[in-house]
Amino acid sequence: MHILIYGTINSFSLALMAIGFTLVYGISRLPNFAHGALYVVTGFIVWSFVNILGIHYIASILLSLILTGVIGAALYQFVLIRVRGMATSEIIASYAIGLAILEGLRWRGFKGMTYTLPVFIEGSIEIAGIPVDFQRMIVVGIGMVVVAFLWLFTHYNKIGLALRGMAQDERAAMMLGIDSDIMALVAMALGSSLAGLAAVVLLPLGNIVVEAGYNVLILAIAVCIVGGLGSWFGAVLAAFMIGFGQIITVEYVASHFHMVVALLAIIITLILRPSGLFGRQKELEERV
Amino acid sequence: MKRIVFLPFALLAMVVLIAFLGNAAYAAEPIIIGAPLSTAFLYGWDAERGMQLAIEEINTEGGVNVGGVKRPFEMAVIDTRDLEPGVPVSEALLVVEKLILENKADFIMGGPVRSEAALAAMDLLSKHKKVSILTTGVLTPAYHARVAENYEKYKYLFRITGEAKWMVGGEIVPSLLFIEKNYGLNRLFIMIQDVSHARAGGGIIAKVMKDKGWEVLGEPEIYPTGTTDFSMGLLKAKRQKAQVLLIWMDMPETSILLKQWYDLKIPALPFGSIIAAAEQPGFWKATEGKGEFTLANVVNAGNAPSNATPWTMKFFEAYKKRWNIEPEGYGTSTSYMGPYVLKDAIERAGSLDSDAVVAALEKTDMKGVYGRIKFDPKSHQVIPSLDPDEGAVGTIFQWQGRKRVVVFPPKIAMGKIKLPPWMK
Repeated sequence: MHILIYGTINSFSLALMAIGFTLVYGISRLPNFAHGALYVVTGFIVWSFVNILGIHYIASILLSLILTGVIGAALYQFVLIRVRGMATSEIIASYAIGLAILEGLRWRGFKGMTYTLPVFIEGSIEIAGIPVDFQRMIVVGIGMVVVAFLWLFTHYNKIGLALRGMAQDERAAMMLGIDSDIMALVAMALGSSLAGLAAVVLLPLGNIVVEAGYNVLILAIAVCIVGGLGSWFGAVLAAFMIGFGQIITVEYVASHFHMVVALLAIIITLILRPSGLFGRQKELEERV
Repeated sequence: MKRIVFLPFALLAMVVLIAFLGNAAYAAEPIIIGAPLSTAFLYGWDAERGMQLAIEEINTEGGVNVGGVKRPFEMAVIDTRDLEPGVPVSEALLVVEKLILENKADFIMGGPVRSEAALAAMDLLSKHKKVSILTTGVLTPAYHARVAENYEKYKYLFRITGEAKWMVGGEIVPSLLFIEKNYGLNRLFIMIQDVSHARAGGGIIAKVMKDKGWEVLGEPEIYPTGTTDFSMGLLKAKRQKAQVLLIWMDMPETSILLKQWYDLKIPALPFGSIIAAAEQPGFWKATEGKGEFTLANVVNAGNAPSNATPWTMKFFEAYKKRWNIEPEGYGTSTSYMGPYVLKDAIERAGSLDSDAVVAALEKTDMKGVYGRIKFDPKSHQVIPSLDPDEGAVGTIFQWQGRKRVVVFPPKIAMGKIKLPPWMK
């Protein structure tokens, strides 16, 4: 039972970490390697709002999500737009930005373990005899809401439909009058805010440390590669596969193989099905 | 008239002479202490602060008397990053080499901090005949064992801080037995970090405690550096009815472990044989008080408030005044004592010659912040003890309220161990 409960929690945590990354890639074909840095930055923004400016916790969270979205949009508008379409340059540029942000934070003294965010609700309950704290239940709840929101947004909202159109066929979408750059900008802002949302939900379970940025990026990439780059459904499914895989490994193999699961999943996927479970990007090439 | 004309010149000459003599220590060439430290982590930055404080105090007092010439200490710090996950040992070696060749360090002090990096640096230090005093990190017994095995080659290397073998046999095991005797707890669950000293230490504790009649529950749970979720391990501990959680981790993420321990109300007393996060004064804030009742070993006295020696609280207050924070954990008091021990040896040697300083260091006998400081003449390991009058004494404290209360060894204890309410 504890595997089921904690596997589900871990899976939703991974889904939250990865969904912003896959959203940006799915729409703009831009691999945002600054994703992990945006995750950590959001944590520090909330911490600063609460502890330095004295803003209410909930208001700080909302403001930080908006601010992270703006930062993401600015990164696209001022840096990434210039290299769009050049895959290697996109990776180098976004990774360099992420590195500069994370190491800049470390350089400015954001290190140690004193940066923490409070949990939304204190306490825990027992589900079938297994203790689960409320924050983890909130992770699952928000994970479900995010997945549902994205589905509804991309099926019933004009901007969401435009984003979906872009993801399916950028040229066709442009012929229908959808502005490719605007949509990529929106995707980057939304993806950054989703990285921020993952941060504000998950960071209260631990502390805000620079190193988390690198971990989140690796996990997000693992989920996206296994699920198929750009496939939202694939990302969620992959999050569950890796999430349960990690928990089962910890329980039956050894806890220090926890991280190996994600890396092994990348290797197996690249060998057996390079486009991932639901990736269509290279499917045709693979068949040929 | 002639005398009156010369008077101002004579006065000026006197002023210049006084000024020159007064600042003789600063006009003299400084003695460079190269400090390879992992400065983003506790065992690095607290060591830097400890050394810096000692150097400032020594220089204020006039510096080091080297064969009749007063010379100041100067510290060159370079970040080795060796406590960071994924950083290869070679980075630390490059730093040590840079300190020796570019910064022209006369002595190496502090680290490298990670055991693996310090072991790898031994040959490099020997090649350059550079006297090195380890003051933080590096708990592996292999370090001083190698010095003893190959004395001629490694005689330049000293360690002024504790090491895992004594820590386990002399401090951790006795304090666990003390807990068993007084609270009836004897079911042990071990959680360790995937690094050399923790694997070795956790393994030894498991074996020794089994021999002492404790029930050691399964194999130690090993976590990679940087792990942020310990919930499955904690649930396993609860299912197996663990009563003491032995934690051996130097990564800051251990504060997450303690938060999760509290949230899941695991009925086992957390005992950090090495637990970097819980050592620091900021731990209370970092865990929002959820880390209360955690026991933490800070390896040497002076890293938490106690009256081990008359110098202990003097150092404690000086550190607090200088850095606006209490001594933060393992490596602070030892790094503070490093420059004092080196000063004492240089003054007795009368020169900076490596062989002369080694001979003087071997004869060190000083009552420092954490007890009597003497090196084993063969292995160059500081001699430990449970009595500060006999040797370097350790410290295990418990978080009680917002305070770090020393509970072991009994000679320097400031309070008694308390159990969390959900264990009563």
